[in-house]
Amino acid sequence: MDIDDILREVDPTFHSIPQEKRDLQELTRAWIAERSAPELLAWPADGLFERINDNIKQQIEKVEEMTGDMDPKTNFALIVIQTELERYRYLVRSYLRARIAKIDRHTLHYLSTDELRARLSEMELAYATRHQALLHNHYLSSFLSSFPANLQNLNDAAAGISMIETPDLESAVFIRALKDTPVEARGVDTDAYADLKESDIVILRWADAKKLVEAGTAELV
Amino acid sequence: MPMYGDLGNKLVQHAKRTQNLTHLPPYQTELVRAVTREVRDLDKDVASLLEPFQGSFDPSADQATACTLLVNHLSMRRNKRCLLAYHRTRTDKLEELVWNGSDVLDLAGQQAGGVNGAAADSGAGSSLSPQEEDYFRQYGDLLSAYKGQWTDIDLTGSLEPPRDLFIDVRVLKDAGEIQTEYGAINLTKNSQFYVRQGDVERLIAQGYLQKLG
Repeated sequence: MDIDDILREVDPTFHSIPQEKRDLQELTRAWIAERSAPELLAWPADGLFERINDNIKQQIEKVEEMTGDMDPKTNFALIVIQTELERYRYLVRSYLRARIAKIDRHTLHYLSTDELRARLSEMELAYATRHQALLHNHYLSSFLSSFPANLQNLNDAAAGISMIETPDLESAVFIRALKDTPVEARGVDTDAYADLKESDIVILRWADAKKLVEAGTAELV
Repeated sequence: MPMYGDLGNKLVQHAKRTQNLTHLPPYQTELVRAVTREVRDLDKDVASLLEPFQGSFDPSADQATACTLLVNHLSMRRNKRCLLAYHRTRTDKLEELVWNGSDVLDLAGQQAGGVNGAAADSGAGSSLSPQEEDYFRQYGDLLSAYKGQWTDIDLTGSLEPPRDLFIDVRVLKDAGEIQTEYGAINLTKNSQFYVRQGDVERLIAQGYLQKLG
């Protein structure tokens, strides 16, 4: 806990922001981050998606209730709610699809260590495991089973090159500083140091940006 | 004389070409078999080369054999990579089709229609190998299982950010009657409707409706 957390706790406006609104902010942030980061980020652990699912369900029920009403005022409200609902759904869908795309691309990598597996939600883990099994079976029945036994592996690391591809952690991302912070970034010829002020935006390697983002000092844009 | 790896190279070229196509070209059964055979032959070569040494082969004492072994070793692994790349490119395509809601029967039909018209129902025109058809079905099951856990989201829905709740659509093919919360709509060819986008997204993706404006 640092000074900001303490300040936030005594800040009367913090707790007055309704949970739903904070969830939406959190979802939007997770969505942007997931789409910008070259590797899979951790699945939000605090039950965010359970709450989001409940919210969406409630709104769908509300829409169904209001549909029978012929009052023009309700009708207008209905359109607003439905539009909001569609947008909310889009955020969740786009977020989940971005994750699935990353998982599909480097399935074996994300399944290879416990630490990486922990980034997936339970459902994603089940999906990834099953998907990999399907692929492996497909390879086996298409050609791999008639290979010599010592060539049937999919995770060889012969001659120092692993068969498992990993995401490129050196690719560039944009981050915005959420508070003043020093940042060091490796370059091709020389490394760079800079003191970021709050809301400064810089471009740097994801490998260098990662710890700032994870600490909440900066966010991906 | 064909060299080691020539066949593998062909597979990779097929894979590369497939990446830029909207449909899936016919599965190269013969080529896959030939490359696999090459791997087995190479493996036999290695075994017979090593046999006289009884497990005590010293590369520095017999550099010519060591070199042959290395080339064989690398060629086998290269062939394996080519095969993996070829199959993965195709499964990627298949998965894309599953996400877009295609049907395996549609697929076989399309292919036969494109190649030899009337022979659509013979099944001989399918561009998928039997293994790929299995894979297609199994992946479809997997995806619906995953989707089923997000019933309120419609995971395979549009990835375009929604702008308008309601859109104008024109009906391209008869799609029968659909239920919306404003009652039933009968979608007959060439008619035009102002409908809720969420209600017709699937039909647009499948080519029954066209979005206007």
